[in-house]
Amino acid sequence: MPVTYMKLAELQNDFQRALFDTECKGADWISESARGLSARKRLDIYYNAYRLRLVDVLLDTFEHTAIYLGDDWFNQIAMEYVQSHPSTYKNIGLYGKDFPGFLAKQLPLDKEVSELALMDWKLRRAFDGADSCVMTLEDLQLLAGNEGFRLHTVPTLTTCTQHFNSLEIWNAINQDQTPPVVEQLPESIDILIWRKGHSPHFRSLAKIESAAIACVCAGNTLGDTRGATLESIGTVLEKDFPDVDVATEFGVMLHRWLDDEILSATSDM
Amino acid sequence: MTTGFGPGFGPGFGLGLRTQHYNDFIAEPQPVDWLEVISDNYMVDGGKPLAMLDQIRANYPMVMHGVSMSIGSINGLDKEYLRKLKILEQRVEPMWVSDHLCWSGVHGRNLHDLLPLPYTQEALQVVTRNVEQAQEVLQRPLALENVSSYVEYEMSEMTEWEFLAEVVQATGCQLLLDINNIYVSAFNHDFSPTSFIEGVPLDSVAQFHLAGHLNNGDHLIDTHDHPVCDDVWDLYRQALLHFGYVPTMIERDDNIPSLPELIDELNVARGIADDVLNTKIAL
Repeated sequence: MPVTYMKLAELQNDFQRALFDTECKGADWISESARGLSARKRLDIYYNAYRLRLVDVLLDTFEHTAIYLGDDWFNQIAMEYVQSHPSTYKNIGLYGKDFPGFLAKQLPLDKEVSELALMDWKLRRAFDGADSCVMTLEDLQLLAGNEGFRLHTVPTLTTCTQHFNSLEIWNAINQDQTPPVVEQLPESIDILIWRKGHSPHFRSLAKIESAAIACVCAGNTLGDTRGATLESIGTVLEKDFPDVDVATEFGVMLHRWLDDEILSATSDM
Repeated sequence: MTTGFGPGFGPGFGLGLRTQHYNDFIAEPQPVDWLEVISDNYMVDGGKPLAMLDQIRANYPMVMHGVSMSIGSINGLDKEYLRKLKILEQRVEPMWVSDHLCWSGVHGRNLHDLLPLPYTQEALQVVTRNVEQAQEVLQRPLALENVSSYVEYEMSEMTEWEFLAEVVQATGCQLLLDINNIYVSAFNHDFSPTSFIEGVPLDSVAQFHLAGHLNNGDHLIDTHDHPVCDDVWDLYRQALLHFGYVPTMIERDDNIPSLPELIDELNVARGIADDVLNTKIAL
């Protein structure tokens, strides 16, 4: 078909396909009239810009991961990700969503890399996640007589599980220190991630606290479970941690959660 | 925070709000008449971006400038994007809302670039349909910015400025004329920047952008990481002579200098406008 009769849909399809291609090949629908610049060289500007822009976004989002891998290695993997993952996001900041999983597949012998990346990703998402009113001690005291009520976490709260000393590595990088040698942990740990004020926060969780937070997220009630489909948090914890004074431990946790601002003022009965 | 022009010269001179300058704008009043925010950076659920936006908006008029509407996409506009844009527009209450005359991807893919359109009757129909849809949601005219481009299409049937004039005529939209983009595209495609300026409808221009670019010898790249160059300042003079006063801002997206340095550059724009427009009035 002569290019003069080309339709807009064909042009946009061809242009997009050209930018996603494994190499920039030029196109006959580009005018070469000005300055002797070839169609290939003109298209190359967009071809390269697409890749550089997305690699830059990955560098920005996965800052600690990039430092850990070093520029060359990170850029190589990031370019492979860009080539194999066309963006489907309006918000370019979301482009790295599948990058931690991609790293896990690409670097099966270096699992700490994907753990670092997942932590980078979740911290970034917490940064501009939804706001909510934080529960105060006064809010909690008002509800204290109603044992059947459910706690709610702030919307930015999330967790991730680490099997390696990735948290130590992340902290060392964050403090411009040499990261420790990677080690597999004897037992996996859960990391809590959320936003307090304007700043993303994180900390490791003891097993019982991780279980308690999982109960809160699942909708288990605080006390009386009459009419509820789920057991109370206390019941779950007593079953899973029979050697622990659950009532005391849960009280300590609740105070910490209030201090950390991980509970939302939203509650229901 | 006033210009030297008096009340007849509108909103004055602005800067693009960048995260590096949040604290400067919060700490004390700055000699900037208004701020342009990148809409997409604030179409988020919450956190610091929206908190800073609200705090700074309390003291500065704002305009909203988007980069992802893809007004020339054959697939039409993303309704969810428009919904979020409207929510932000209601929050910011901007003087105007702009995006680019371009397309950014089709069939659910996003190229995150401002890709030029072919200037054809068919593209005009697509853009007209999409601008009308955006204006229906926003309930206000959209301002469309001319993009820097590195390709022209064999299929184009008219010039870029003729196309812009047709879009304005068909939709009642406004234009955001990026003086640097005119300069970059004119160099890359060997057309007269003066023809561009003179070809745009006189009363349609809501805003000027000024920015820097990278000179690669046989082509220019719109990088927004350099100060405005002398040739672009000259073109700004021409634009002022042709259009009269138009709210003007410096757009810097990379290699971002300190706020005082940007304000110095903005004051160059003020000085040029003062000089050109007072001379024009005197004539």
